[in-house]
Amino acid sequence: MKESVFRKAVSTREHRNEVYIEVRKEDFKDVCAQLHARQHARLRLMFATDERQKDGHFRVYVVFSAPGEDRFYFIVLPLAEQESSFPSITSVIPAAHWYEREISDMFGLVPHGHPDQRRLVFHESFPVRSHPLRKDWKIDESDIREWGEGTAVKVPHPFMEVEGEGIVEIPVGPVHAGIIEPGHFRFSAVGETIFFLEPRLFYTHKGTEKHFETLGFVEGIKLAERVSGTSSFSHGAAYCMAVEMMTGTEITEKASAVRTLLLELERLYNHIGDIGNMCAGTALAVGYMKGAVIKERLMHLNERLTGSRYLRGVNVVGGVTRDVFAHADDILKTLDIVTGEYKDLMQLLLGSVSHIERLQNTGRLSKDIASKLGVTGVAARASGLSDDIRKSHPHLLYDRLIFESHTHERGDVFARMMIRGEETECSISMIQALIESGYKGNLSVPVGAASAYSSALGYAETPRGSLFYWVMADREGKPLRVKLRSPSYCNWPAVPFAVHGNIVPDFPLCNKSFNLSYSGTDM
Amino acid sequence: MLKDILQNIISKKKVIPFPEGFSVTADQAAKIVDFQGRIDKIFGRSLRIRQVDAGSCNACEWECTALTNPIYDIQRFGIDFVASPRHADVLLVTGPVSRQMELALKRTYIATPEPRLVVACGDCAKDGGIYKGSYAVTNGVANVVPVDCYIPGCPPTPTAILLGLSQLIDRCTR
Repeated sequence: MKESVFRKAVSTREHRNEVYIEVRKEDFKDVCAQLHARQHARLRLMFATDERQKDGHFRVYVVFSAPGEDRFYFIVLPLAEQESSFPSITSVIPAAHWYEREISDMFGLVPHGHPDQRRLVFHESFPVRSHPLRKDWKIDESDIREWGEGTAVKVPHPFMEVEGEGIVEIPVGPVHAGIIEPGHFRFSAVGETIFFLEPRLFYTHKGTEKHFETLGFVEGIKLAERVSGTSSFSHGAAYCMAVEMMTGTEITEKASAVRTLLLELERLYNHIGDIGNMCAGTALAVGYMKGAVIKERLMHLNERLTGSRYLRGVNVVGGVTRDVFAHADDILKTLDIVTGEYKDLMQLLLGSVSHIERLQNTGRLSKDIASKLGVTGVAARASGLSDDIRKSHPHLLYDRLIFESHTHERGDVFARMMIRGEETECSISMIQALIESGYKGNLSVPVGAASAYSSALGYAETPRGSLFYWVMADREGKPLRVKLRSPSYCNWPAVPFAVHGNIVPDFPLCNKSFNLSYSGTDM
Repeated sequence: MLKDILQNIISKKKVIPFPEGFSVTADQAAKIVDFQGRIDKIFGRSLRIRQVDAGSCNACEWECTALTNPIYDIQRFGIDFVASPRHADVLLVTGPVSRQMELALKRTYIATPEPRLVVACGDCAKDGGIYKGSYAVTNGVANVVPVDCYIPGCPPTPTAILLGLSQLIDRCTR
């Protein structure tokens, strides 16, 4: 299959379930468009690397996966050092729009033909023509001070302006009223109705990808666990998987089982917490507090199992540090209590007409827009797209477990709540099923050295959606590039579409129904 | 648990009956009760906190949110999180302070009326934590605004945050 793509390939290489297809610059856009349109391949991530130390080239990678196939297609475009642009694919694959702007910020490789040439990651006061992920990048003290002071406008960032009678512009953030992460929102409202919303993110940009390069592969796990707090375990698992695949390390059945169980536990506490949090958006205090209590119960379980409320410190490259199956009784007992409390909560919520009425038809995201923007996870499934990396690319023990990937068609806040509810029940039964059998093997195995310029992809389904880590080693086996793509990165651009036509007071509710991580997006 | 209660009776410490799941030792609990008295005295029974995320990974935020749940119920001590820095006595800052949040944090600090206290919450807020040395962070809150108190932990548990606040109040009374 995909003969037309392979015919245009300059070279191809396979590594496990990854197929690297190097193409010429003139074929690049066509190949991507064909894969996307004819094979219905989904854009998973897109990034660039600075491989000048290897062969004097930058490379742009576009990663697709086709439905019904456990394979990832990497379309690779090499760019000689003096080339400063690559053909933009945003016009044919809209989901690429942020990735291309990010590449432009980080590498100075301009996406030729991109409709939005503004910066994405860096704000106005970041120096012109300064690209941190280039290997020879340096920044001087005065520039970094000016960046921090934020007062010097070096590259202006004009917001989209909506003009017309009765249009009011409402700027919100970056410091918000609640206990949430920072981001700036520019609403253009007609009366109370949101006509247009432009979010400005990346306030929490911490240079994570560059920082990975200084840490080394084994140490990197600590950083991966601190990219997004509520998905700490998924980030750790995906990162470890990438490094293990690259070094050819096979983890034991036991380690796989521990990771699978904790991934589901993480999903469980997030989903129940999110269902509760949505009540804060409709001022249903009882539901909010009930949700918070169940979540807290699960956080205590996390602490008893792993010593960390956020399941940190369990994942290491090559396996895990703790055998959570030793606490099987504790897990089952807590799950029993949680199941009962959760059922009570859902009964309360579904029986509250005032709550349900606020959720229905609010924040609708159409299937068409969700698929064009490459939305993932709960948000995608609530809009009728079946996107679950546990099903499409089975890893760990997911091929042994029986579970459903639920989808809803409505795409509103209610659908997103129901998806979370169905997945909560699914996760509980998956954890119970996992505990029933015994698993062989040590907790962790020694990790081999990475060979020069080897690379691999790691992934996991976080509570928010699919998460990817792609790692590449340099000549000495140290990190040359660590690319991470969190689910929130794909879902943020969809939020403005979902809130269009809703009233401003419903924005917090819509936002909570997506529950996106700013830190995971901003990196 | 029973032993703790017995000890409390013997030592005549006043201890709030903490709900199940609130893992504090008797000494820590006594400290919190003590600190409530001080809040009553100095802050007129109300300590208002404005939480500012300056580039944290959101774990610290969720722990602050957990403080308001029925298990920890921080409001019963007269402490609450407020929506505006203009209403706050304390700025609780999390994260290593990313360069792109530096200006916003400074402005939030200026907007807080004096006398104001600044708490750096979490390992990142202390010295950058795992992010220390990255080009995009300032390696700790103290490099941006003056800090009165540090709460260690990655993230600090809700109990740790509460105890950290109690120490801050302790310092104020001296």
